[in-house]
Amino acid sequence: MTLTLKIAAIAATAAFSATSLAVAASEEMVAEANKEGAIAIYAATDLSQAQALLDAFTAKYPGIKIDYNDVGTNGVYNRVISEAAAKQVGGDLIWTSGVDQAVKLGADGYLTQYESPEVASLPSWAVYDKTVYATTLEPIGIIYNKTVLPEDQVPQTRAELAALFAKPEFSGKIGTFDPEKSGVGFMIQTNDSKQRDDYWTLAEAFGAAKGKTYAATGAMRETVVSGENAIAFNLIGSYALDWVKTTPNLGVAFTKDYTAAFSRTAAIVKDGPHPNAAKLFLDFMLSKEGQDAIASKGMPSLREDVDAGLNIKTLNELVGGNLKPMALDASRLEFMEPAKRLEFLKQWHAAVKG
Amino acid sequence: MTELIVQNVHKYLGGLHILKGASFTASRGSIVSLLGASGSGKTTLLRCVAGLEQPENGVIKIGGKAVLDGEKRMTVAPENRNIGLVFQSYALWPHRTVAENVAYGLRLRGVNKADTEKRVLDTLGNIGLGHLAERYPDQLSGGQQQRVAICRALVYQPKVLLMDEPLSNLDAKLREEARYWIRKLVLDLEICAVLVTHDQAEALAASDNILLLRDGAVAQEGAPQEIYDRPKSFFAADFLGANNVASGRISRNASGTRIQGDGWSLDGVVLGEGEDGDGKAVIRVEQVAVHGQPGPGRIEMRLEACLFLGDRWEYRLAWGAFRAKAFGTRPLASGQVWAEIPRQSVWLFPEAA
Amino acid sequence: MPAETASVSANAVSSHPTQGVATRPATTMPLPGNARAFRVTVISLLGLCVLAPILLIFYQSFLDGPFFTPASKLSLEAYRYILTDAMFYDALWNTVIMAAGMVIIAVPLGAGLAFLLTRTDVRFRKTLEVVVLVPMFISAIVLAFGYTVSVGPSGFITMLSRHIFGAAPWTLYSLTGIVIVTGLAHVPHVYLYVAAAMRNLPSDLEEAARSVGAPIWRVFLDVTMPMVLPALIFATALNLLVGFEMFGVPYVLGDPSGIVVLTTYVYKLTTLFGVPTYQLMAVVVVLLVLLTLPLVWYQRRLLRHGRRYAALGGKGPRTQVMRLGRTGQIIALSFVGLWLLVSVMLPIGGIVLRAFVDAWGQGVNPLEHLTVKHFGNLIEVPSLFRGIVNTVILSVVGGAAAVAIYLVIGLAGHRNQGFSNTLLDYMVLLPRAMPSLIVGLAFFWLFLFVPLLVPLRATLISLFAAYVIVGLSYGLRLLQGTLIQIGPDLEEAARTTGASIGQTWRDVVIPIVRPGLVGAWALIMIVFLRDYATGIYLMSAGTEVIGSLMVAQLQSGAMDTIAALAFVSILLTGVGLGLAFRLGAKIHD
Repeated sequence: MTLTLKIAAIAATAAFSATSLAVAASEEMVAEANKEGAIAIYAATDLSQAQALLDAFTAKYPGIKIDYNDVGTNGVYNRVISEAAAKQVGGDLIWTSGVDQAVKLGADGYLTQYESPEVASLPSWAVYDKTVYATTLEPIGIIYNKTVLPEDQVPQTRAELAALFAKPEFSGKIGTFDPEKSGVGFMIQTNDSKQRDDYWTLAEAFGAAKGKTYAATGAMRETVVSGENAIAFNLIGSYALDWVKTTPNLGVAFTKDYTAAFSRTAAIVKDGPHPNAAKLFLDFMLSKEGQDAIASKGMPSLREDVDAGLNIKTLNELVGGNLKPMALDASRLEFMEPAKRLEFLKQWHAAVKG
Repeated sequence: MTELIVQNVHKYLGGLHILKGASFTASRGSIVSLLGASGSGKTTLLRCVAGLEQPENGVIKIGGKAVLDGEKRMTVAPENRNIGLVFQSYALWPHRTVAENVAYGLRLRGVNKADTEKRVLDTLGNIGLGHLAERYPDQLSGGQQQRVAICRALVYQPKVLLMDEPLSNLDAKLREEARYWIRKLVLDLEICAVLVTHDQAEALAASDNILLLRDGAVAQEGAPQEIYDRPKSFFAADFLGANNVASGRISRNASGTRIQGDGWSLDGVVLGEGEDGDGKAVIRVEQVAVHGQPGPGRIEMRLEACLFLGDRWEYRLAWGAFRAKAFGTRPLASGQVWAEIPRQSVWLFPEAA
Repeated sequence: MPAETASVSANAVSSHPTQGVATRPATTMPLPGNARAFRVTVISLLGLCVLAPILLIFYQSFLDGPFFTPASKLSLEAYRYILTDAMFYDALWNTVIMAAGMVIIAVPLGAGLAFLLTRTDVRFRKTLEVVVLVPMFISAIVLAFGYTVSVGPSGFITMLSRHIFGAAPWTLYSLTGIVIVTGLAHVPHVYLYVAAAMRNLPSDLEEAARSVGAPIWRVFLDVTMPMVLPALIFATALNLLVGFEMFGVPYVLGDPSGIVVLTTYVYKLTTLFGVPTYQLMAVVVVLLVLLTLPLVWYQRRLLRHGRRYAALGGKGPRTQVMRLGRTGQIIALSFVGLWLLVSVMLPIGGIVLRAFVDAWGQGVNPLEHLTVKHFGNLIEVPSLFRGIVNTVILSVVGGAAAVAIYLVIGLAGHRNQGFSNTLLDYMVLLPRAMPSLIVGLAFFWLFLFVPLLVPLRATLISLFAAYVIVGLSYGLRLLQGTLIQIGPDLEEAARTTGASIGQTWRDVVIPIVRPGLVGAWALIMIVFLRDYATGIYLMSAGTEVIGSLMVAQLQSGAMDTIAALAFVSILLTGVGLGLAFRLGAKIHD
C-alpha cells in the first residue's frame, strides 16, 4: 500500500515537473518543429483510419507538412533498419501495430528515447523504456455470420468457443489469424499462449474443426460476411465494432472471461530528419485532442478522459470486464528470437493439424 | 588510271578458308568481272573491297589510298572508302522516295540542298527516270529499281563502283539490255567498275577483264576473249561456254597429241599441265560441225537425235563411248553423219597426278 | 584499249594461291566503324544492371543476417535452414506440380486452338485470333481475384450453384484449382508460338493426308503436330519457366488453404520470423535460379534455332485451310467458347460484378446491392488514386522510355557477332530466371545503398528501372524481332553510300522499324500495366502502382478496394490492348 502510494506520489511529481517542463519546452519545440516544416511517418495503419488524427494535427500546426506512408508492419520494421544501415534515415516517427517489432527496434537502438509530457495520463504498462508508446487499445474479438450463427448461440467464454468448434456443423467454417503470415496474428497467439492455460486446447479444437487461417482481419471479414465461414476469432475486434454498423449480417463478440488487447505503438526514429516535429507529433498523439481523433476512427483510447469513442474504461465494460492489455515490456522480445519463434510455430502446426 | 588494287586477300570464316589470296586491279573506264559459281568467294571478295567483310590478311587500295593493310592491322570503315555499291536486291530504302534515295550520299557529303537537287535530277534524267523522282521504290518495276540503285551509287562520284549481281533479278530480255546499258555508262563516265556475276554471258559481254574464281582463289584472269579461247585449266575450259567433255587416255607421239577412249580417239592440243595418262577433253559445242557427207578430217558418227531449238537444230552424236552435242541450221536424219572437229579445238587436260 | 587498263597482278594466276602467304592471324581485326565502343558500353551497362541484383542476392544468401547490418557474417546457416525445412520441399514439390500441370493443360489446348485458327475454316477466325490472346494480358493477380469472386468458396457462381443444385462440387483453393487456372490462363502463350509455326507450314502435306482419307483430327495428330514439334517444345519450356516464377495465382488461391510454392514461400519468409530474413529469401531465390537456369539455357538454344526457322518462313506457299463442315464448326466453336467462358468471362465477369456491389454472399441478391462507392474510394484515398496515376504514367511514359532503352540495347546487339553477343543473349534471359518479386527487392536494396541512386529511391524511377529489367527479355525480343526484319542490304547500302553506323541507324534502321517500335510500345505498356510483383517491396508512399497495391490490400482483406482496382486494371489493359492492335502490334509472348 505504502509502496503504491509512494509510486503514485513519484509519478505525480514526475508528471507535474514533466508537464511544467513540457509547457516551457513546448513553445521552443513548436518553433523548432515549424522550422523543420515536415514530418515523415512510417505507419501500419490505413490512411482512412489515420486521417482524423492527421487532420487534427495539421489544423493545430499548419506549418508542418505530414508525409504519411502506410507500409505495413513489416514495411515499418524493414525500412527503419535498412535506412539506418544505409545512413539514409527518412522516417521520423513509426506508428505500428507490430508491438514486438517496435520493442525490438527500441531494444536494438534504432529509436530515440523521449519522455513525453503526456506520459502521466497513460497506464504505466503503456511505455517501453521511454521509447515506445502505446497509442491505442484494441481488443481481440470474434466475428460471426448472423444468418448462420444466431446471436444467442454466440460463445461468451473461451470454453464455449472450444465447445462450438466441436460441433460438426461448424467444421471447415472457422477462421483465425495466421501466426505465420501476420505479425499481429503471431503476437496475439503467443500472448494468449503465455496468458491462458487453455490456449493449446483451443488451438487443437480449432485444428480438429478444420479451421482456416488468414493473414488479415479484413480477409476474415470477407469470408464471414459471405458465409464461407460461420465464425472467426482472435482478430482485431475494434475493426469489427466499426464494420457491424454497416454490415447487417455481421456480428461481433468478445469472450467475457478473457479479452486480450494490443496497442498500436508510436516511437521516434533515431537520427530522423525532423526530430522536433516527431516529438511534437508524438505528444499530440498522446494528448486528449489526438486521442479523441484516433478514437473517433474506431481505435479505442488509453486515456480515460477521451470521449470521442471508446476509451480504456468504456471498452473494458463493453467486453465484459476482463480486458487484458499487452504490456510494452522486455517480455515482448521473447518471441522475436528466431529459435523461440520457430518452436512456437512448430508447436502450433502440430496442435492445429487436427 | 588504276583506282583499285587488291593484293593477296585472305578471309576465313569459322574453320573455312573463304578467300585464298585473291589479287586484282581495276582502272577507270573499265569493268572487271568477278566470275564464279556460288561459293567461289566472288561476293565475299567484293564485300571485302567494300569493307563489309573484314579479311584476315591482304592489302586493298582505293584511289591510291590504302583502305586495308593486314600487316599493319589497318582498316578503313566502308563509309570512308569512297565507293558505290549496287546490291543484288538493289536495297533501295523503302521509306524514302527515289530522289531521297539518290540524294542521301550527297547529303552525307555535305552538298548543299540546291546542288543536291540538281545533281539528283540530272543523274536520274540521264538514265530516263527523272519523272519517277517522287515515287517510292515499291512503286517501280525491277528494271527501274535497278537503275535507281546504280544512280544512288554513282551520284556522288565514287572512286570505284561495285556491283553485286546487279542483273540477276531482271528477266532475260531486260538483262541483255541492262548489261549493254551498264557497260556504256561505265565507259562514258569513265568509272572504275567491279561486277560480280555467276553468269558467264554477262561477264563476257560486259567486262574488259574477267577474274574466274574457284574456291576462293583466282583460277584464271584475262580479257573475255582470252579467257574464253585459251583456258588454262579444265575448270576454266569447262566453266565457260557450252562444252562437250570426254574422258580418255592422253598420249603423245611425233605427230602430236591424242586422246583415246573406248571406240574413239581425237587429236588435240594439251592446254593443262601434266603427264600423259588419264585426262579429259573439252570441245566447245560450236566447234563441232556436222555434215551429211564424208570429207577430209571428218569422222563418222551416229546421229542419235535431232532437236529443234527454234533458231537452230541440236544434234546428239555418238561415237563409241564418246557423246557430243553440236548445232546446225538444218534437220538431219538419224543415222550416219560426219563430224568435223578441228585439232586446235580439242583441248586436252591431263589429270593432275 | 580496255583490255590493257586491267592488269594481272603477281600471284593471281598461280594454281597454288596460298603459296608464300602468311598463316592465318590469331585474331580477326574488328570491322571498322562497327560501333564497337557503343556496343561494349551498352552491353557492359546492361550487364551491370542485370548482374548487380543477382550478385547481391547471391551474396546475401551466404550471410547470416541482412547484408547491410554490420553484425552479419558469412555463413551457410541460411542454406542449412532452408534445406532442412519441410515447408521448402513442400513448396518445391508444389511448384513442380503446378508448372507441370500448367503445361499439361496449356500445351494441348494451345496447340488445338492454334490448329483451329490457322489450319481450318473455323468461323469468326479474325475476331477469335484477337480474343484468344486476352488472358495473356490480364494481370495474374486480377485473374486470381476474378476466380475468387466468381468460383471461390463464396463466389457468385458458387452461390448460384448452391442455390440451384444445392452444392458446388469444386474447390478453387487447392493445388488442382491453381493448376487449372494457370493452365487455362497460359493457353495463349502456347497458341502464339504454335500458331506462328503452323502459319508457315505448307498446306499440301495436310491436303495429301486428307486425300488419302484421314479425318481432320488425324491430320492434326499425324501430320500437323509432328511438323510443329519444335514450336511445341519451345512453348513447353517457356511455360515451365513461367510456371516456376508464378506468384500471383498461387498467392491468392493457395494462401487460404496453406498451399505454398517457391515464390509464395519466399514471400512468406518475409513475415515468418517477425523480422526480415533476407538471407533465407535469398537462398530460395538462388535455388530457384539454379533450377530455372537450365530452362533458360535450353530456351536460348531453341530460340536460336527458332530464329533460323523464322527466317526461312514467310515465303511459304499460301496455305489452304481445311473445311470443318457443320458438325466440325459446332464442335470447334464450342471448344473455343467454353475455354473463353472459363478463362476470360468467369474471372472478368466476377471482378466487374464484385466491383459494383457492396453486399453479397449467402442469401443476398447482389443485384439489389449495386453501388459505385468502391470507386469513390479510389479517388478519395490518395494512395489509391496515386497508384492509378502512377500506373498510367509508368506504362505510358515508362513504356515508351523502356522501348527506347530496349532499342539501344537491340542496336548494340544488332548484327553483332562473337562473345559479346552471346553475353547479351544470356544477360537478357537471366532476369527471367528470377521472380519479379525478388527483382523488385534487389532494386530496393540497390536504390537504398548505391549512393548515386539514393535520391531516386522514392521516385518512380526506381520502379521504372526494375520494370525495365523485368520486361527485358520480352521487350528485347520484340525489338530484335523487328530489327531482324530489315534486310542487311539496306544497312550496308547506307554504309557504302557514306553513312557511319550511327547515321545508318538514325536514317535507315530506325525510320524503317518505327511502326514496329510503336507496336512494341503498346505491348510493353500492357506488360508494365499488369505487373504486380515487382513493386511489392519496391513501391513506397508516392510510388504506388495498381498491381502491388492489390497485393498489399489483400493483406488487409480490403476486397472492395481490390475489386475496384482490378476493374480499373482491366479497363486500362483493354485500352492498351485496343491501342496495340490499332497500332498494328505483333504479339509475341
